[in-house]
Parts: sequence; C-alpha cells; structure tokens
Amino acid sequence: MAQPKKPVPAQEAEPEIEMEDKPAEPADGEEIDMGAEPPPGDLSADMAAADANANVVKAGAVARTPLSWKDILVVVRKPFLKAKRTELYPMVGTTLNDNMIRHYSLGGQLSYYLTDVLAIGVEGQYYVDSFREPFDLVARQARRLPTVNKYNWSGALNFHYVPVYGKFAIFDKKLVTWEVAFTAGIGAGQSEVIPRDTKFEAFTTLLIMPNVGANMRFFIAKWMTVNVGVRDYIFIDKFEPTMRVEGGINDSAEDAKANATSSFINNVMFQIGLSFWLPTSFEYTTFR
Amino acid sequence: MPEMIKHSLICVALGAALLTTTVETAEADGRRTNELADDKAVRHRKLLVKQRFEFAPLFESTINADYRHVIGGGAKLEYHLSDMLSIGVIGVGSTSINTKLVNRIMDTLEDNPANPREPSRRELEVRLNSMPIHGAAYLSLTPWYGKLAAFSQAYVAFDFYFQAGVSYAKLKSDCPSMICSDTAPGENKPGPGDETTPPDNDPNNDPPLNSGSRIGLYLAFGIHVFLNDFIALDLTIRDYAFDDNPSGADFNANLAVTDEDSRFLHHLFVGVGLSIMFPTKVKRTN
Repeated sequence: MAQPKKPVPAQEAEPEIEMEDKPAEPADGEEIDMGAEPPPGDLSADMAAADANANVVKAGAVARTPLSWKDILVVVRKPFLKAKRTELYPMVGTTLNDNMIRHYSLGGQLSYYLTDVLAIGVEGQYYVDSFREPFDLVARQARRLPTVNKYNWSGALNFHYVPVYGKFAIFDKKLVTWEVAFTAGIGAGQSEVIPRDTKFEAFTTLLIMPNVGANMRFFIAKWMTVNVGVRDYIFIDKFEPTMRVEGGINDSAEDAKANATSSFINNVMFQIGLSFWLPTSFEYTTFR
Repeated sequence: MPEMIKHSLICVALGAALLTTTVETAEADGRRTNELADDKAVRHRKLLVKQRFEFAPLFESTINADYRHVIGGGAKLEYHLSDMLSIGVIGVGSTSINTKLVNRIMDTLEDNPANPREPSRRELEVRLNSMPIHGAAYLSLTPWYGKLAAFSQAYVAFDFYFQAGVSYAKLKSDCPSMICSDTAPGENKPGPGDETTPPDNDPNNDPPLNSGSRIGLYLAFGIHVFLNDFIALDLTIRDYAFDDNPSGADFNANLAVTDEDSRFLHHLFVGVGLSIMFPTKVKRTN
C-alpha cells in the first residue's frame, strides 16, 4: 500500500535566493544601470573601485546560493581597453647579440588596434654604432681586422597579437596589470660597410628585413604604458670582400659591392619606451 | 675594477629606490582615501613560496660570450624566509664551446706565422679559458607576484625576483710549457755572467694567467611561473661578475701578459630550471 509522502522539513529545503538588496527599477524601464564611473583617465581609480566592490562582497553575510548560480562566473572587467585606439610608441634600443659592434637605436612605432588583441602598425629606427671591446682586441692580439657593417636606418610594417595578460602586486600593496604581445613584420633597412682600411670607399646595402619579437606592456594610466621587449631583425647582409687593392681589385665601392660576401644575420635588439594612447581614455560597453 | 663594482651597486640601489618610490607615490597621491589604502592587495592568496624550500635542477648558458660559450647544468637550493625574502645557493658545472668569432679568427691564422707578433692557431686557442664550475650564494627579494592568462585558457601564478650576492667561478686554461715558455713576462731576465736580458716583448709565449678561482659579485633577476602548487618554471638572467681575462692575451698593450690584463667582467647567463617546492602542500593568507 502506498504511503503518503512526508513533507520536506523547512530547514532542509533548497535555500531561496536572497533578494534583500533589490536594485531600483530603471526610471524608464529600459535604461541599464552601469554603476558610478570614475573620472576618465584614471586607471588607478578604476582598479580601486574594483577592489572596493570585491571588499563589499567579502564583508557581507555569507549566503548559500542555489546550484544554478554556481555556473555564473564573476569576471573583473579589463582595466585597460585597446580596441580602436592608436598607440604611439617612441623607443630606444640596443643590440644584444653582436660582440664586435653595438648599435643604439632611436625610433618610434605607430600601431592601430583593430581589436583588443590584434593591431597593425609601422615602425622606424635610426641607428648609432659603437665598437665593443673585442673589435680592438682581435686587431691587436690576433692581428686580424674584423669585417663589420653598421646599420643606418630601418622601417617595418608590423602585426601585433596579445595572447597573454595578467596582473601582479608590488610589495603586496599596489596592483599593476600587464600583458605580453608578439610581433611579426616585414620591412627594409640600410647597412653600410665599415672599411677595414679607411682609404677605401664604403658601400651601402638595402636590406629586406622581416622581424619577430615579443614585448611586455605595463599599464600606468589609461593613456600611457611602459613597454619592454626584444625584437629579432632577420636579413641577408653584404660584407666587404677580403681583398681590396688600391687602384686594383675591388678598389671602388661598386666593385667591392659586386664582389661582396653575403651572410645571414639575426640582429636581436632590446627595446624600451613609453607608449601614448589616443584617444587618451575609453568607455566600457559591457557591465562592470 | 672598483669603478665597475661601484657602478653595479649603484644600479642595484637605483632599482630598489624605484620600487620603493612606486609604492610611496601610490600611497601619497590621495587617490585611495578609505581603509582599503592600508589593506593587502590580494586576500586568500596561496603562499607559494613562504617558508618553503625550493630545489631547482637547471640549465644555463652564456649570453653573447666573446670567446667561449659556457653551457652547463646544475641546481639551485633556496629557502624562502618569508613571502618576499629568501636565501639560496646555486652551483653549475659547465663545458665550453668556441664562439663563431674564435672559429673565424682560427680559420685565418697559420700554424707557424712569419710575423712574430701574430699568434699561431695553437697559441690563440690554448690561451682561452673555460669555466668548468661556477656558482653563487645570494639573498633574493620577490617584490612582485601575480597571475596571468595565456590565450584566455591557461591561468597561472607567477612572481618576479631579484637576487644579489657573492659569485664564485673556477677558471681553467691549459697552456703547455712549450708554448707558454716565458717565465718572467715583461721583466728582465738574468743573462750570461752579470748581464741581464731585456723582455722579449712577445705576449704570445706568456702564460695566460686566466685560470684559478675567482670571487666576485652576483646579480640576477628572474621569474617563477607556477605550473601547480609546488612546481614552477624558473627563468633567470644571471650576472657573475669577477676579474677575468678570457682571451689570455695582452689586454693593456704592454707586450706582456700580466695580472694587470685581467679586468672586472660581467659574465651574463640565461638559465632555465624546474623549481620544486617543499613541502608540496601550500598555505593561504587570510
């Protein structure tokens, strides 16, 4: 014989959703409350506001939530948006992988972010060179004059992709957000032979220079970031031929260039600079 | 040499001052006026390093070495006194490989050069030193920690650290006496009777004086990327700075190889290791 079902005790029932702090209805019934926005241009204020909201949640009474709500993830919105913004990145750089000649570069990069993770841009650099210790030592100790080229300028069309982002705390006090961007591009540049004997003419070579690299970007304000990165410029360069005779073989720059030896070069540069973003601020289009 | 040490110390001091200034500026600019200003940046954080031993087998290689690449393996042992401070030691055993520069020079040298000032292939090669063992004892500061998302898929914790301490290196060069035959480089030698023989002014037959133990300065910075609660990828740039004359040749152009040819040099290495934290169970902050 079937027994009547016992009623479920009230304390064991599925807890109800606590709705005490019911938000006010929008005046027109359609307007979305996006919360009070901090003044534009203040990245720290935005992050402080996010911290304050998190604290309110932690300070309140712990209420059990129904299982269906566990599927909803709370994600803090990004503190910095790049989509549809232009980045102006003046930078300085130096060679990392040449033990004969060191180049210092002064340049800039202009990029437009199609989305928050994809950008297209152009860059240009002017180079200044200085010899490193082995350049003199090889000549003096081994009685051999090194064959080296210097770079004059370069430019490139680049594509940027930002797959990694994160945040870190400094001394457990200040939160800083950062990201890692990868770059690939194609460009051109000019190298110039440094003649072993100064009585001979130098010649220049136009280089096709693909490049790949990665850089870290630290967000300081809504309109400014600090960038640090490494870039590898890859090209085939022409070097001064071993034999040059005054009034004879390879005397002129044209002859020397025609008989130049070619080498595959990786010019790895360390680059650092400040980025300035236009427009200088941005607006969120999604809920906080 | 003292100037180089002074330069390195100034760089460390400036770095520390920059970090401190960043924090002080954030507190002083008045943007945060409630009680959160003095609160911790992150709560319920996993203490991934505090009061844990870190053992890291590692691989290390020189960056942009002039004459010989030094490539080796070793281990790092570190104890994290707190969340930010730790002490540790590192030891690496290495082998050395000629750089492209050395190979290019060697290709153009002769076995018996006619020019007495020019070294033979053998004279050049045996003077180069190697670094079979090197290491350091250091104090480490971890001022930055955080988490990152890669491709919106992998979420991992990381921290940046800076290290400073004392470096040690054992250098080695093997120049046989038939090549390095000058017993008193740059000095007069006793000749027949009471006469003296002047210096031969040939640095190519002088002993290279670039082997033995060296103690110097150690500086490093790196990043831990935590794969789980007790295993982390450890990427580091290390600078072992000490007196060295890697070519073993005459540096100051006095036509003799002497101790004065050694100078304070920075030996930059990149290291990759796998850090294992003990105990493996991790605690959390409040």
